[in-house]
Amino acid sequence: MPENMGIGRPMKNKIKVFRAMYDMTQEDLAQAIGVTRQTILAIEKGKYVPSLDLAFRISQFFKVNIEEVFTYDSETKTVDDR
Amino acid sequence: MKKNTFYLLCGCIAVILLAIFWYSVEIHRPFFVEITFIIGIAVAYLARRRVTDLIDDERSAKITEQAVLRTFQVFLVVVCAFSVGAVMKILYVPQFPKDVDLSHAPEGFTPKMMGYFQLGLLCLMIFLYVGFRIYYARKYGDWETDEE
Repeated sequence: MPENMGIGRPMKNKIKVFRAMYDMTQEDLAQAIGVTRQTILAIEKGKYVPSLDLAFRISQFFKVNIEEVFTYDSETKTVDDR
Repeated sequence: MKKNTFYLLCGCIAVILLAIFWYSVEIHRPFFVEITFIIGIAVAYLARRRVTDLIDDERSAKITEQAVLRTFQVFLVVVCAFSVGAVMKILYVPQFPKDVDLSHAPEGFTPKMMGYFQLGLLCLMIFLYVGFRIYYARKYGDWETDEE
């Protein structure tokens, strides 16, 4: 992971939306996936980009694909741009 | 064990170590405080593993990692710069030493003083680490408040 923990990168997430759907607090979610409430808060606010492992754990907890919770909007080259 | 009990235990260990340090100084037995220090750290480590309500997740690990990295980067530069300068002074650089006798170091600066300075820098490193830790914790979302 980059030194800045992904801050400023185009990583967005819908954790807050999913929490609202399931009527969960940050503390509830944090306890369920084994992290601190501050981590959930930091992810929601975009101050911390979670590892792939944690991102998968969050999305699996909400029973959705990872892309439905986390989105990465960038103009990174694809294989078609060669 | 609860988190607060662990912090209390750490405080007690620190006080005991401090008392033993001065006792060691008084009886001129450095070995005594060295052994006690290792035991103290081992006890704290074992107690830390028994804490049930303290969660170490990847974000806190990353904050620690960043703080340690920055501290060592700064510390290494400062210590190396100081040590090179001190060694040069002790060895009478730029004159190449013909017969190095460390017991007759230059006036006002002795090898013993170099040791004291390095010890002081080591203590400063602790403050530096705490500073960096606060900085990164703040940067990566600690102490943030949000509505639920």
